[in-house]
Amino acid sequence: MTGPARSRTGLGRDPEREIATPPGLQALLLAALAIGILMLSLQLWLLTVSLDLFLAGRGGEVWSLAFVSGLIFIGGLVALRLLSRGPQSRA
Amino acid sequence: MDPVIPSWRRQFPYGLEADEVVARREFLRYALLSSGALFIGSVVLAVLAPLQRRSAEPKAVARVNELRAGEARYFHYPGPQDEAVLINTRERGLVAYSQKCTHLSCSVVYQAERDRLFCPCHDGVFSPLTGDPVAGPPQRRLPRIVLEQRGDDIYAVDLTP
Repeated sequence: MTGPARSRTGLGRDPEREIATPPGLQALLLAALAIGILMLSLQLWLLTVSLDLFLAGRGGEVWSLAFVSGLIFIGGLVALRLLSRGPQSRA
Repeated sequence: MDPVIPSWRRQFPYGLEADEVVARREFLRYALLSSGALFIGSVVLAVLAPLQRRSAEPKAVARVNELRAGEARYFHYPGPQDEAVLINTRERGLVAYSQKCTHLSCSVVYQAERDRLFCPCHDGVFSPLTGDPVAGPPQRRLPRIVLEQRGDDIYAVDLTP
């Protein structure tokens, strides 16, 4: 015996209430994800280099790495802000 | 008559189709949070770096000609808990290093018969001439202690990474 189809959220599918992904947004989000993961990896690597320099007593050089890490963070902040404006405001 | 829409549904108007989009946005937010944490970590290291260097009072560690070539003496510098080793090398005379292995901080010992500084924890080997790692897991050289002769005494005056 099978009951009515239920979604993961416990709701039946209701296409009228669901938000369709606008064309192009999927690709944009995937690109943002890929770049985001790459930038995070770069930041993690920068932190390991910073730690290595710190332990080697060359802490003065850590500031430049922290600056680059900060630029990546600010870039991510701006990108997320642009993405969260949504397709309506971009149109 | 329109069905009553629960308030949670108005606050979260996403169905299954849009679920993945929301998840990715959430993921991006967490990624940004992680990015901020990594940035703060780098800044903390940069801020702590100047505090790392400790100044210490000069300390007499041996008398001139007290150690024969190939002999070593252990002492504490710059603090009473900081182990150090003074070696009279055949090639460069007196040199001194912190005994703290740059791998995982075990104490290195001087092995005169093999003319090397050896870390027994993970078989790390350092050159007694330069303090550079020559074998095993250590990647950085041993911190070097600057020596100075004052009269008949040899003083440790500074610690350089």
